[in-house]
Amino acid sequence: MPVIQFKEALRAAMIEEMERDENVFLLGEEVGEYNGAYKVSEGMLARFGPRRVLDTPISEAAFTGLGIGAAMCGLRPIVELMSWSFSLVCFDQLVNNAANIRYMSGGQFKIPIVFRGGNGIAHQLGATHSHRVDALFSRVPGLTVVAPSCPYDAKGLLKSAIRSDDPVIFLESEVMLNDRGEVPDEPYTLPIGRAYVRREGSDVTFICWSKMVKLCMAAAEKLQSEDGISAEVIDLRTLRPLDEDTLVSSIRKTNRCVVVDEDWPYCGMGAGIVERLYRRVFDDLDAPIGRVCCEDVPVPYNHYLEQAMQPSVPKVIAAAREVCYV
Amino acid sequence: MGAASDVQNRPGAKMASSSKGKVERRRLWMMMLIRRFEERTYQEYTKRGFEDPSGEVVKRIGGFCHLYSGQEAVAVGIAAVFEPKRDYLVNGYRDHGHALALGMSPNAAMAELFGRVTGCSRGKGGSMHFFQAEVGNMGGHGIVGGQIPLGVGMAFAAWYRKTGGVSFTLFGDGALNQGTFNESMNLASLWKLPCLFICENNGLAMGTQVHRSSAETDLARRGAGYAMPCRNVDGNDLNEVIAAVQEAAGRARAGEGPSFLVMNTYRFRGHSMSDPQKYRTREDLERARQRDPILLYERYLREQGLLEDGAVDQMDNEISQIVNEAVKFSEQSPHPDLRELYEHVLSEVYPLEK
Repeated sequence: MPVIQFKEALRAAMIEEMERDENVFLLGEEVGEYNGAYKVSEGMLARFGPRRVLDTPISEAAFTGLGIGAAMCGLRPIVELMSWSFSLVCFDQLVNNAANIRYMSGGQFKIPIVFRGGNGIAHQLGATHSHRVDALFSRVPGLTVVAPSCPYDAKGLLKSAIRSDDPVIFLESEVMLNDRGEVPDEPYTLPIGRAYVRREGSDVTFICWSKMVKLCMAAAEKLQSEDGISAEVIDLRTLRPLDEDTLVSSIRKTNRCVVVDEDWPYCGMGAGIVERLYRRVFDDLDAPIGRVCCEDVPVPYNHYLEQAMQPSVPKVIAAAREVCYV
Repeated sequence: MGAASDVQNRPGAKMASSSKGKVERRRLWMMMLIRRFEERTYQEYTKRGFEDPSGEVVKRIGGFCHLYSGQEAVAVGIAAVFEPKRDYLVNGYRDHGHALALGMSPNAAMAELFGRVTGCSRGKGGSMHFFQAEVGNMGGHGIVGGQIPLGVGMAFAAWYRKTGGVSFTLFGDGALNQGTFNESMNLASLWKLPCLFICENNGLAMGTQVHRSSAETDLARRGAGYAMPCRNVDGNDLNEVIAAVQEAAGRARAGEGPSFLVMNTYRFRGHSMSDPQKYRTREDLERARQRDPILLYERYLREQGLLEDGAVDQMDNEISQIVNEAVKFSEQSPHPDLRELYEHVLSEVYPLEK
């Protein structure tokens, strides 16, 4: 199977869907002539022309809202946000317009649109450019939130997101764009709303997504070799709607769970997931659900402070040992 | 201001039927309907609510409610140019008048205010969120200026599909001070999208007069930096409104890009129902009523010999019945079933495989 980069997988998904459906188009800052701030859309302007690959001014509210308005008319926009941190200046468009219009019109409109871009902490970008928007959008009814962890998932999930008639918040990570992985040449899609058991195990369940999956996989290997603890790693793939059943059945098997995420601790994504789980697995648990997440501070610039702020393999291992009472 | 001859001289203004005046009388009728609908809404809003079995009194019309009385010429003027098959209209929250002008039944409009399932948004939108997809009424929107980018997107869709359609993107004078106005005007002009930016300047952003919220009080000049035609229009003069909208829509349909029209008008009611209106005097309001768009247009029709004696009274009676019927229809309509709570959140069923 061919091995390609995460960003190439995203690009392949967009190209295939744009070739499949004339209503699909791409817009955002620097997606065209610049070939994408992170080269995700490299070559797409040349391939599809300026009608379908559109460079926007730095006007997030205008171009996200433009996408929503066009989607109300039946087009299927892919809107690239250079960073999800910039979504804070168009939050009204995403939350009030993309998420609400179907409901408040009594179902008169579909909003088939994908917003995609880099989410989370990259390398020393400071507090304003390192936001994790997972929980900000996953708490909003009317939105679907997808966060792939590898090139194969990125392609299959982005294709499904583009085909969905609902607004999809698609969370990538700048630091994963060059990750490589096997991706078949043949077209495929992956289901939205289903988690994936990335590693089977029997002693503790790790719940993670996006960038945290690699971290949890590394922690699982170490736990196996150092403590003989067998960790099951569940890659959520979709944050909303949450695939509770897959999580619950894993926890009923392992009786222990650690949720690992990049968000802040209070009211963060992990907190929301834990709340959902407790109602269903309380009697199955041998220990309180563990959490590894970011420290409760803005994201610092300094490399060591930034590292200390984030989840790490040792932090995940420590949390696993704690719930296993090792 | 020579409005009549101005309109007649414009190509495509389609005043041919004015020999009989049917179209013009219908426009007067619509302005009167909107006025009557709004004034009745005021009454219904302030009446005692319904007592439900638990003894709780539920308001007949709840929430925020922004009335359009005084601004009718703008909605009816736009509707005169609007082409339902290919045009779009998107609006702020003062949206009852435009919905009626674009053909929404008064029953569906009033029932929405009453929160009933027969309402235009199934009782899930309320006063600020009137939608009628099949005619291209893309909704009233509750956040000041939040709808402006949507309007650009609708213009984009028309451009992308080469339909010749136009997006009528409406907002109030208060919205000029939102960032979305700047972003949207620039983007639409940059891409030459068929978007008509129409500011309904009623002089008041809630209770803040234009001179207290805008450094430039000639609001058409607020559009000066976007390389598009900008003009002030007498928003109380229906003929002026139609002429201005027709011209701008023609440009948009011809691929010449957006325009910015400021419809200078006045609202006779408060910002919303709870507004004590301390920002204006009785004299201000009386002066404004001298230029009531309905009276102006009625006078114009009489001058043109298009309105027979007694015609207005007859219309008034007919409209009165229609509005009475809308209230009765709304009172008798059911509330949405509680099962509707979870309906219309998403279009798809998940897990989604496509």
